[in-house]
Amino acid sequence: MPNSPTDHFEAASTLAVVVSSHEPLLFLSQDLKVLAASASFCRTFGIEPSTVSHKRLSDLGKGEWAMPKLASLLKATASGNARIESYEIDLIRLDQEPRQLVVNACKLDDGDEQRTRLLLAITDVTEGRAEARLKDALIRDRAMLLQEVQHRVANSLQIIASVLMQSARRVQTEEARGHLHNAHHRVMSIASLQRQLSASHDGDVELRAYLIQLCQSLGASMISDPSRLSIEVNVDESVVGADVSVSLGLIVTELVINALKHGFPDEREGMIHVQYGSGENNWKLSVIDDGIGMPAGDNAPKAGLGSGIVEALARNLNGAIQVSDAGPGTNVTISHRNTSGAAPNFLGADSNATIS
Amino acid sequence: MHNGKAVVLVVEDSPIIRMGAIDLVVSAGYEALEAQDADEAIRILELRDDVDLVFTDVDMPGTMDGIRLAHYIRDRWPPVRLLVASGAAIIEESSLPLGSKFFSKPYHDHAITDAMARMLAGNP
Repeated sequence: MPNSPTDHFEAASTLAVVVSSHEPLLFLSQDLKVLAASASFCRTFGIEPSTVSHKRLSDLGKGEWAMPKLASLLKATASGNARIESYEIDLIRLDQEPRQLVVNACKLDDGDEQRTRLLLAITDVTEGRAEARLKDALIRDRAMLLQEVQHRVANSLQIIASVLMQSARRVQTEEARGHLHNAHHRVMSIASLQRQLSASHDGDVELRAYLIQLCQSLGASMISDPSRLSIEVNVDESVVGADVSVSLGLIVTELVINALKHGFPDEREGMIHVQYGSGENNWKLSVIDDGIGMPAGDNAPKAGLGSGIVEALARNLNGAIQVSDAGPGTNVTISHRNTSGAAPNFLGADSNATIS
Repeated sequence: MHNGKAVVLVVEDSPIIRMGAIDLVVSAGYEALEAQDADEAIRILELRDDVDLVFTDVDMPGTMDGIRLAHYIRDRWPPVRLLVASGAAIIEESSLPLGSKFFSKPYHDHAITDAMARMLAGNP
Protein backbone atom coordinates (compact mmCIF):
# COMPACT_ATOMS: atom_id res chain seq x y z
CA MET A 1 0.00 0.00 0.00
CA PRO A 2 1.60 3.38 -0.98
CA ASN A 3 2.25 5.50 1.99
CA SER A 4 3.33 9.03 2.96
CA PRO A 5 4.14 10.61 6.34
CA THR A 6 0.68 12.26 6.51
CA ASP A 7 -1.18 9.05 5.86
CA HIS A 8 -2.88 7.23 8.64
CA PHE A 9 -3.13 3.53 8.67
CA GLU A 10 -6.65 2.27 8.73
CA ALA A 11 -7.29 -0.73 10.90
CA ALA A 12 -6.73 -3.82 8.78
CA SER A 13 -10.08 -5.18 9.88
CA THR A 14 -11.89 -2.06 8.58
CA LEU A 15 -10.27 -2.42 5.18
CA ALA A 16 -11.01 -6.15 5.15
CA VAL A 17 -14.68 -5.51 5.91
CA VAL A 18 -14.88 -3.00 3.04
CA VAL A 19 -13.05 -5.27 0.58
CA SER A 20 -15.25 -8.24 1.37
CA SER A 21 -18.55 -6.29 1.13
CA HIS A 22 -21.02 -8.05 -1.08
CA GLU A 23 -22.44 -4.72 -2.29
CA PRO A 24 -20.12 -2.43 -4.27
CA LEU A 25 -18.61 -0.18 -1.61
CA LEU A 26 -15.94 2.55 -1.52
CA PHE A 27 -14.16 3.73 1.60
CA LEU A 28 -13.00 7.31 1.02
CA SER A 29 -10.95 9.91 2.75
CA GLN A 30 -12.20 13.47 3.24
CA ASP A 31 -10.39 14.60 0.08
CA LEU A 32 -12.11 11.77 -1.84
CA LYS A 33 -9.18 9.42 -2.14
CA VAL A 34 -9.97 5.73 -2.17
CA LEU A 35 -8.82 4.04 1.05
CA ALA A 36 -10.38 0.74 0.04
CA ALA A 37 -12.74 -0.59 -2.61
CA SER A 38 -14.75 -3.74 -2.28
CA ALA A 39 -13.94 -6.58 -4.64
CA SER A 40 -17.58 -6.41 -5.76
CA PHE A 41 -17.09 -2.74 -6.77
CA CYS A 42 -14.03 -3.58 -8.88
CA ARG A 43 -15.82 -6.53 -10.47
CA THR A 44 -19.04 -4.66 -11.19
CA PHE A 45 -17.40 -1.60 -12.70
CA GLY A 46 -14.41 -3.26 -14.40
CA ILE A 47 -11.65 -1.73 -12.33
CA GLU A 48 -8.36 -3.50 -11.56
CA PRO A 49 -8.30 -3.95 -7.72
CA SER A 50 -4.56 -3.37 -7.41
CA THR A 51 -4.88 0.15 -8.92
CA VAL A 52 -7.44 1.66 -6.58
CA SER A 53 -5.70 2.30 -3.32
CA HIS A 54 -5.07 6.00 -2.62
CA LYS A 55 -6.22 6.98 -6.05
CA ARG A 56 -8.56 9.92 -6.27
CA LEU A 57 -12.16 8.89 -6.91
CA SER A 58 -12.03 11.05 -10.05
CA ASP A 59 -9.02 9.10 -11.36
CA LEU A 60 -10.56 5.63 -11.01
CA GLY A 61 -10.79 3.61 -14.21
CA LYS A 62 -10.66 5.99 -17.16
CA GLY A 63 -11.95 8.91 -15.16
CA GLU A 64 -15.60 7.95 -15.43
CA TRP A 65 -16.09 8.51 -11.70
CA ALA A 66 -15.12 12.18 -12.06
CA MET A 67 -18.68 13.34 -11.70
CA PRO A 68 -18.91 16.90 -10.35
CA LYS A 69 -22.37 16.15 -8.93
CA LEU A 70 -21.12 13.13 -7.00
CA ALA A 71 -18.05 14.99 -5.74
CA SER A 72 -20.10 17.89 -4.49
CA LEU A 73 -22.54 15.55 -2.73
CA LEU A 74 -19.67 13.64 -1.09
CA LYS A 75 -18.04 16.88 0.07
CA ALA A 76 -21.31 18.02 1.58
CA THR A 77 -21.61 14.64 3.31
CA ALA A 78 -18.06 14.91 4.65
CA SER A 79 -18.73 18.35 6.09
CA GLY A 80 -21.89 16.98 7.70
CA ASN A 81 -24.21 19.21 5.64
CA ALA A 82 -25.94 16.47 3.76
CA ARG A 83 -26.52 12.78 3.52
CA ILE A 84 -26.67 11.00 0.24
CA GLU A 85 -29.60 8.66 0.38
CA SER A 86 -30.63 6.74 -2.70
CA TYR A 87 -29.27 9.41 -5.02
CA GLU A 88 -29.50 8.44 -8.66
CA ILE A 89 -26.68 9.11 -11.11
CA ASP A 90 -25.68 7.76 -14.49
CA LEU A 91 -22.25 6.24 -14.98
CA ILE A 92 -21.01 7.12 -18.47
CA ARG A 93 -18.10 5.07 -19.81
CA LEU A 94 -16.42 5.14 -23.19
CA ASP A 95 -17.82 2.53 -25.59
CA GLN A 96 -20.28 1.22 -23.03
CA GLU A 97 -23.96 1.66 -22.37
CA PRO A 98 -24.62 4.12 -19.52
CA ARG A 99 -25.40 2.44 -16.21
CA GLN A 100 -28.00 3.73 -13.82
CA LEU A 101 -26.64 3.86 -10.29
CA VAL A 102 -28.22 4.46 -6.93
CA VAL A 103 -25.68 5.78 -4.44
CA ASN A 104 -25.77 6.04 -0.67
CA ALA A 105 -23.05 7.75 1.30
CA CYS A 106 -22.43 8.45 4.95
CA LYS A 107 -19.67 9.63 7.26
CA LEU A 108 -18.00 6.81 9.10
CA ASP A 109 -18.91 7.18 12.75
CA ASP A 110 -16.02 5.54 14.62
CA GLY A 111 -15.33 8.16 17.27
CA ASP A 112 -12.29 9.58 15.43
CA GLU A 113 -13.02 13.32 15.38
CA GLN A 114 -9.75 14.20 13.61
CA ARG A 115 -10.24 12.35 10.40
CA THR A 116 -13.39 12.20 8.33
CA ARG A 117 -13.90 9.15 6.19
CA LEU A 118 -16.81 8.29 3.97
CA LEU A 119 -18.54 5.09 2.98
CA LEU A 120 -20.05 5.17 -0.48
CA ALA A 121 -22.32 2.29 -1.45
CA ILE A 122 -23.17 1.98 -5.13
CA THR A 123 -25.94 -0.17 -6.55
CA ASP A 124 -26.23 -0.75 -10.27
CA VAL A 125 -29.97 -0.69 -10.95
CA THR A 126 -29.74 -0.70 -14.76
CA GLU A 127 -31.08 -4.24 -15.19
CA GLY A 128 -33.68 -3.84 -12.46
CA ARG A 129 -34.98 -0.64 -14.06
CA ALA A 130 -35.04 -2.25 -17.50
CA GLU A 131 -37.00 -5.18 -16.07
CA ALA A 132 -39.44 -2.80 -14.39
CA ARG A 133 -39.89 -0.93 -17.68
CA LEU A 134 -40.46 -4.22 -19.49
CA LYS A 135 -42.99 -5.25 -16.89
CA ASP A 136 -44.79 -1.91 -17.21
CA ALA A 137 -44.81 -2.33 -20.97
CA LEU A 138 -46.23 -5.85 -20.63
CA ILE A 139 -48.94 -4.63 -18.27
CA ARG A 140 -49.79 -1.82 -20.71
CA ASP A 141 -49.87 -4.26 -23.62
CA ARG A 142 -52.11 -6.61 -21.70
CA ALA A 143 -54.49 -3.79 -20.79
CA MET A 144 -54.60 -2.68 -24.44
CA LEU A 145 -55.23 -6.23 -25.60
CA LEU A 146 -58.02 -6.62 -23.07
CA GLN A 147 -59.53 -3.33 -24.25
CA GLU A 148 -59.28 -4.52 -27.84
CA VAL A 149 -61.04 -7.78 -26.95
CA GLN A 150 -63.79 -5.92 -25.09
CA HIS A 151 -64.16 -3.62 -28.06
CA ARG A 152 -64.53 -6.61 -30.37
CA VAL A 153 -67.06 -8.27 -28.06
CA ALA A 154 -69.12 -5.06 -28.01
CA ASN A 155 -69.00 -4.86 -31.81
CA SER A 156 -69.98 -8.51 -32.18
CA LEU A 157 -72.91 -8.02 -29.82
CA GLN A 158 -73.88 -4.96 -31.90
CA ILE A 159 -73.88 -7.09 -35.06
CA ILE A 160 -76.17 -9.66 -33.39
CA ALA A 161 -78.43 -6.93 -31.98
CA SER A 162 -78.62 -5.21 -35.40
CA VAL A 163 -79.57 -8.44 -37.18
CA LEU A 164 -82.24 -9.27 -34.60
CA MET A 165 -83.78 -5.81 -34.79
CA GLN A 166 -83.77 -5.82 -38.60
CA SER A 167 -85.53 -9.18 -38.54
CA ALA A 168 -88.02 -7.89 -35.98
CA ARG A 169 -88.87 -4.93 -38.22
CA ARG A 170 -89.43 -7.21 -41.20
CA VAL A 171 -91.46 -10.13 -39.82
CA GLN A 172 -95.20 -10.08 -40.39
CA THR A 173 -96.60 -11.62 -37.21
CA GLU A 174 -96.70 -10.11 -33.74
CA GLU A 175 -95.68 -13.45 -32.24
CA ALA A 176 -92.51 -13.74 -34.29
CA ARG A 177 -91.71 -10.10 -33.56
CA GLY A 178 -92.13 -10.81 -29.84
CA HIS A 179 -89.69 -13.72 -30.01
CA LEU A 180 -87.12 -11.64 -31.85
CA HIS A 181 -87.48 -8.79 -29.35
CA ASN A 182 -86.99 -11.28 -26.51
CA ALA A 183 -83.86 -12.61 -28.17
CA HIS A 184 -82.69 -9.00 -28.50
CA HIS A 185 -83.34 -8.38 -24.77
CA ARG A 186 -81.23 -11.44 -23.91
CA VAL A 187 -78.36 -10.18 -26.04
CA MET A 188 -78.61 -6.74 -24.43
CA SER A 189 -78.66 -8.37 -20.98
CA ILE A 190 -75.32 -10.01 -21.73
CA ALA A 191 -74.08 -6.70 -23.18
CA SER A 192 -74.91 -4.97 -19.87
CA LEU A 193 -72.80 -7.55 -18.06
CA GLN A 194 -70.00 -7.09 -20.56
CA ARG A 195 -70.07 -3.37 -19.82
CA GLN A 196 -69.82 -4.03 -16.06
CA LEU A 197 -67.00 -6.48 -16.62
CA SER A 198 -65.00 -4.05 -18.72
CA ALA A 199 -65.16 -1.60 -15.80
CA SER A 200 -64.13 -4.31 -13.33
CA HIS A 201 -60.47 -5.00 -12.65
CA ASP A 202 -60.72 -8.49 -11.21
CA GLY A 203 -63.59 -10.06 -13.16
CA ASP A 204 -66.04 -9.56 -10.29
CA VAL A 205 -69.24 -7.66 -10.80
CA GLU A 206 -71.04 -5.29 -8.46
CA LEU A 207 -74.48 -6.79 -8.70
CA ARG A 208 -76.34 -3.62 -7.82
CA ALA A 209 -74.82 -1.50 -10.59
CA TYR A 210 -75.29 -4.36 -13.05
CA LEU A 211 -78.94 -5.06 -12.24
CA ILE A 212 -79.78 -1.33 -12.21
CA GLN A 213 -78.26 -0.90 -15.67
CA LEU A 214 -79.94 -4.07 -16.90
CA CYS A 215 -83.39 -3.02 -15.69
CA GLN A 216 -82.89 0.50 -17.07
CA SER A 217 -82.16 -1.05 -20.43
CA LEU A 218 -85.18 -3.38 -20.23
CA GLY A 219 -87.44 -0.56 -19.08
CA ALA A 220 -86.23 1.80 -21.78
CA SER A 221 -87.02 -0.66 -24.54
CA MET A 222 -90.21 -2.25 -23.15
CA ILE A 223 -92.00 0.45 -21.19
CA SER A 224 -93.64 3.00 -23.47
CA ASP A 225 -95.28 4.96 -20.68
CA PRO A 226 -92.95 5.31 -17.69
CA SER A 227 -95.69 6.99 -15.66
CA ARG A 228 -97.73 3.80 -15.89
CA LEU A 229 -95.08 1.13 -15.29
CA SER A 230 -91.74 1.23 -13.55
CA ILE A 231 -89.04 -1.14 -12.29
CA GLU A 232 -87.50 -0.73 -8.85
CA VAL A 233 -84.17 -2.37 -8.13
CA ASN A 234 -83.20 -3.09 -4.55
CA VAL A 235 -79.92 -4.95 -4.27
CA ASP A 236 -77.39 -5.21 -1.44
CA GLU A 237 -73.65 -4.69 -1.83
CA SER A 238 -73.00 -8.17 -3.17
CA VAL A 239 -70.07 -8.66 -5.49
CA VAL A 240 -70.21 -11.87 -7.53
CA GLY A 241 -68.13 -13.57 -10.19
CA ALA A 242 -68.85 -13.16 -13.90
CA ASP A 243 -70.42 -16.62 -14.27
CA VAL A 244 -72.89 -16.14 -11.43
CA SER A 245 -73.76 -12.60 -12.51
CA VAL A 246 -74.51 -13.58 -16.10
CA SER A 247 -76.95 -16.24 -14.79
CA LEU A 248 -78.60 -13.84 -12.32
CA GLY A 249 -78.85 -11.19 -15.06
CA LEU A 250 -80.51 -13.56 -17.50
CA ILE A 251 -82.94 -14.76 -14.84
CA VAL A 252 -83.88 -11.14 -14.07
CA THR A 253 -84.23 -10.44 -17.80
CA GLU A 254 -86.66 -13.34 -18.30
CA LEU A 255 -88.72 -12.60 -15.20
CA VAL A 256 -88.98 -8.87 -15.93
CA ILE A 257 -89.91 -9.48 -19.59
CA ASN A 258 -92.53 -11.95 -18.42
CA ALA A 259 -93.99 -9.58 -15.84
CA LEU A 260 -94.11 -6.67 -18.30
CA LYS A 261 -95.69 -8.80 -21.01
CA HIS A 262 -98.34 -10.61 -19.02
CA GLY A 263 -98.80 -8.81 -15.72
CA PHE A 264 -100.21 -5.49 -16.87
CA PRO A 265 -102.83 -5.82 -19.62
CA ASP A 266 -105.34 -3.09 -20.50
CA GLU A 267 -103.12 -0.15 -19.55
CA ARG A 268 -102.95 -1.37 -15.97
CA GLU A 269 -100.53 0.65 -13.81
CA GLY A 270 -97.95 -1.00 -11.65
CA MET A 271 -94.43 -1.64 -10.53
CA ILE A 272 -91.93 -4.46 -10.68
CA HIS A 273 -89.53 -4.92 -7.79
CA VAL A 274 -86.23 -6.67 -8.39
CA GLN A 275 -84.60 -7.62 -5.09
CA TYR A 276 -81.40 -9.41 -4.23
CA GLY A 277 -79.86 -10.01 -0.82
CA SER A 278 -77.25 -12.39 0.45
CA GLY A 279 -76.13 -13.71 3.81
CA GLU A 280 -73.12 -15.74 4.77
CA ASN A 281 -74.41 -18.95 3.24
CA ASN A 282 -77.42 -17.97 1.22
CA TRP A 283 -78.81 -15.55 -1.26
CA LYS A 284 -82.25 -14.68 -2.51
CA LEU A 285 -83.34 -13.12 -5.78
CA SER A 286 -86.93 -11.97 -6.17
CA VAL A 287 -88.88 -10.39 -8.98
CA ILE A 288 -92.22 -9.20 -7.63
CA ASP A 289 -94.92 -7.43 -9.60
CA ASP A 290 -98.28 -6.00 -8.59
CA GLY A 291 -99.98 -7.01 -11.82
CA ILE A 292 -102.90 -9.35 -12.43
CA GLY A 293 -101.13 -12.44 -11.11
CA MET A 294 -100.52 -15.75 -12.80
CA PRO A 295 -103.51 -17.73 -13.98
CA ALA A 296 -103.55 -21.12 -12.23
CA GLY A 297 -104.87 -24.56 -13.16
CA ASP A 298 -106.11 -25.05 -16.70
CA ASN A 299 -105.64 -21.37 -17.50
CA ALA A 300 -101.94 -21.49 -16.66
CA PRO A 301 -99.87 -20.50 -19.68
CA LYS A 302 -97.74 -23.12 -21.37
CA ALA A 303 -94.15 -22.92 -20.16
CA GLY A 304 -92.12 -21.09 -22.79
CA LEU A 305 -88.45 -20.66 -23.52
CA GLY A 306 -88.24 -17.98 -20.83
CA SER A 307 -89.30 -20.27 -17.99
CA GLY A 308 -87.00 -22.98 -19.37
CA ILE A 309 -84.09 -20.55 -19.20
CA VAL A 310 -84.97 -19.51 -15.65
CA GLU A 311 -85.25 -23.14 -14.49
CA ALA A 312 -81.97 -24.20 -16.08
CA LEU A 313 -80.05 -21.24 -14.70
CA ALA A 314 -81.58 -21.53 -11.22
CA ARG A 315 -80.71 -25.22 -11.12
CA ASN A 316 -77.17 -24.41 -12.19
CA LEU A 317 -76.89 -21.92 -9.30
CA ASN A 318 -78.33 -24.52 -6.87
CA GLY A 319 -81.32 -22.27 -6.39
CA ALA A 320 -84.90 -23.27 -5.63
CA ILE A 321 -87.67 -21.46 -7.53
CA GLN A 322 -90.76 -20.46 -5.64
CA VAL A 323 -93.71 -18.79 -7.34
CA SER A 324 -96.29 -17.25 -5.05
CA ASP A 325 -99.23 -14.87 -5.10
CA ALA A 326 -98.06 -11.37 -4.17
CA GLY A 327 -101.68 -10.24 -3.67
CA PRO A 328 -101.96 -8.56 -6.11
CA GLY A 329 -99.44 -9.86 -8.57
CA THR A 330 -96.76 -12.50 -8.66
CA ASN A 331 -93.63 -13.12 -6.62
CA VAL A 332 -90.97 -15.31 -8.17
CA THR A 333 -88.12 -16.00 -5.77
CA ILE A 334 -84.98 -18.00 -6.39
CA SER A 335 -83.32 -18.90 -3.12
CA HIS A 336 -80.03 -20.59 -2.55
CA ARG A 337 -78.67 -22.11 0.62
CA ASN A 338 -75.04 -23.05 0.51
CA THR A 339 -73.82 -25.92 2.64
CA SER A 340 -70.23 -25.75 1.42
CA GLY A 341 -69.88 -22.13 2.56
CA ALA A 342 -68.87 -20.58 -0.77
CA ALA A 343 -71.50 -17.85 -0.92
CA PRO A 344 -71.19 -14.56 -2.77
CA ASN A 345 -69.82 -11.77 -0.60
CA PHE A 346 -72.15 -9.97 1.69
CA LEU A 347 -71.16 -6.49 2.71
CA GLY A 348 -74.38 -5.15 4.21
CA ALA A 349 -76.30 -1.93 3.39
CA ASP A 350 -79.20 -1.77 0.99
CA SER A 351 -79.94 0.73 -1.68
CA ASN A 352 -82.82 1.62 -3.91
CA ALA A 353 -83.15 2.73 -7.45
CA THR A 354 -86.28 3.31 -9.40
CA ILE A 355 -86.28 2.79 -13.12
CA SER A 356 -89.11 3.98 -15.23
CA MET B 1 -83.71 18.05 -45.49
CA HIS B 2 -84.66 16.30 -48.66
CA ASN B 3 -88.30 16.16 -49.83
CA GLY B 4 -89.35 17.15 -46.33
CA LYS B 5 -87.41 14.32 -44.72
CA ALA B 6 -84.41 14.85 -42.47
CA VAL B 7 -81.25 13.37 -44.01
CA VAL B 8 -79.05 11.14 -41.83
CA LEU B 9 -75.59 10.00 -42.91
CA VAL B 10 -74.50 6.70 -41.35
CA VAL B 11 -70.72 6.18 -41.14
CA GLU B 12 -69.78 2.65 -40.15
CA ASP B 13 -67.20 0.20 -41.48
CA SER B 14 -68.95 -3.01 -40.39
CA PRO B 15 -71.41 -3.81 -43.22
CA ILE B 16 -73.99 -5.56 -41.05
CA ILE B 17 -74.01 -2.88 -38.36
CA ARG B 18 -74.22 -0.25 -41.15
CA MET B 19 -77.15 -2.12 -42.71
CA GLY B 20 -78.88 -2.27 -39.32
CA ALA B 21 -78.27 1.44 -38.71
CA ILE B 22 -79.67 2.37 -42.14
CA ASP B 23 -82.71 0.19 -41.56
CA LEU B 24 -83.16 1.94 -38.23
CA VAL B 25 -82.88 5.42 -39.77
CA VAL B 26 -85.30 4.59 -42.60
CA SER B 27 -87.83 2.99 -40.24
CA ALA B 28 -87.70 6.17 -38.13
CA GLY B 29 -88.83 8.08 -41.23
CA TYR B 30 -85.57 9.74 -42.29
CA GLU B 31 -83.65 9.56 -45.51
CA ALA B 32 -80.46 7.52 -45.04
CA LEU B 33 -77.07 7.96 -46.70
CA GLU B 34 -74.18 5.62 -46.03
CA ALA B 35 -70.40 5.79 -45.86
CA GLN B 36 -67.94 3.14 -44.79
CA ASP B 37 -65.29 5.50 -43.49
CA ALA B 38 -64.58 9.14 -42.69
CA ASP B 39 -63.16 9.93 -46.14
CA GLU B 40 -66.27 8.71 -47.90
CA ALA B 41 -68.42 10.61 -45.40
CA ILE B 42 -66.57 13.85 -46.17
CA ARG B 43 -66.98 13.30 -49.93
CA ILE B 44 -70.73 12.90 -49.43
CA LEU B 45 -70.94 15.99 -47.24
CA GLU B 46 -69.07 17.97 -49.92
CA LEU B 47 -71.51 16.80 -52.60
CA ARG B 48 -74.73 17.27 -50.67
CA ASP B 49 -75.70 20.26 -48.63
CA ASP B 50 -78.81 18.70 -47.14
CA VAL B 51 -77.33 16.35 -44.51
CA ASP B 52 -78.91 17.13 -41.13
CA LEU B 53 -77.26 14.54 -38.89
CA VAL B 54 -74.23 12.25 -39.00
CA PHE B 55 -74.35 9.00 -37.04
CA THR B 56 -70.80 7.67 -36.89
CA ASP B 57 -68.81 4.78 -35.49
CA VAL B 58 -65.46 5.62 -33.84
CA ASP B 59 -63.01 2.87 -34.72
CA MET B 60 -62.74 2.86 -38.52
CA PRO B 61 -59.96 2.39 -41.04
CA GLY B 62 -58.95 5.40 -43.10
CA THR B 63 -57.39 8.75 -42.36
CA MET B 64 -59.71 9.71 -39.51
CA ASP B 65 -61.52 7.91 -36.75
CA GLY B 66 -65.06 8.89 -35.78
CA ILE B 67 -63.94 11.35 -33.13
CA ARG B 68 -61.72 13.28 -35.55
CA LEU B 69 -64.48 13.09 -38.15
CA ALA B 70 -66.94 14.59 -35.66
CA HIS B 71 -64.58 17.51 -34.99
CA TYR B 72 -63.93 17.97 -38.70
CA ILE B 73 -67.65 18.11 -39.46
CA ARG B 74 -68.35 20.50 -36.60
CA ASP B 75 -65.62 22.75 -37.91
CA ARG B 76 -66.57 22.61 -41.59
CA TRP B 77 -70.35 22.13 -41.43
CA PRO B 78 -71.32 23.52 -38.02
CA PRO B 79 -75.12 22.99 -38.30
CA VAL B 80 -74.81 19.20 -38.82
CA ARG B 81 -75.87 17.27 -35.68
CA LEU B 82 -73.51 14.56 -34.48
CA LEU B 83 -74.22 11.19 -32.93
CA VAL B 84 -71.28 8.92 -32.10
CA ALA B 85 -71.33 5.21 -31.14
CA SER B 86 -68.44 2.98 -30.17
CA GLY B 87 -67.65 -0.44 -28.78
CA ALA B 88 -65.16 1.20 -26.44
CA ALA B 89 -67.05 1.19 -23.16
CA ILE B 90 -66.58 4.84 -22.25
CA ILE B 91 -65.58 7.72 -24.42
CA GLU B 92 -65.51 11.05 -22.70
CA GLU B 93 -68.22 13.21 -24.22
CA SER B 94 -65.73 16.02 -23.59
CA SER B 95 -63.53 14.53 -26.32
CA LEU B 96 -66.39 15.10 -28.76
CA PRO B 97 -67.61 18.40 -30.19
CA LEU B 98 -70.00 20.24 -27.90
CA GLY B 99 -73.59 19.17 -28.41
CA SER B 100 -72.80 15.76 -29.87
CA LYS B 101 -74.14 12.60 -28.25
CA PHE B 102 -72.32 9.39 -27.46
CA PHE B 103 -73.71 5.85 -27.22
CA SER B 104 -71.78 2.72 -26.35
CA LYS B 105 -72.30 -0.39 -28.44
CA PRO B 106 -74.40 -2.41 -28.52
CA TYR B 107 -76.91 0.42 -28.51
CA HIS B 108 -80.67 0.20 -28.22
CA ASP B 109 -82.32 1.17 -31.49
CA HIS B 110 -84.93 3.26 -29.70
CA ALA B 111 -82.21 5.14 -27.76
CA ILE B 112 -80.67 6.14 -31.09
CA THR B 113 -83.96 7.14 -32.74
CA ASP B 114 -85.02 9.07 -29.60
CA ALA B 115 -81.72 10.97 -29.64
CA MET B 116 -82.04 11.64 -33.39
CA ALA B 117 -85.59 12.95 -32.97
CA ARG B 118 -84.52 15.25 -30.12
CA MET B 119 -81.48 16.55 -31.98
CA LEU B 120 -83.37 17.10 -35.24
CA ALA B 121 -86.07 18.96 -33.33
CA GLY B 122 -83.33 21.29 -32.15
CA ASN B 123 -83.17 20.00 -28.58
CA PRO B 124 -79.91 18.86 -26.99
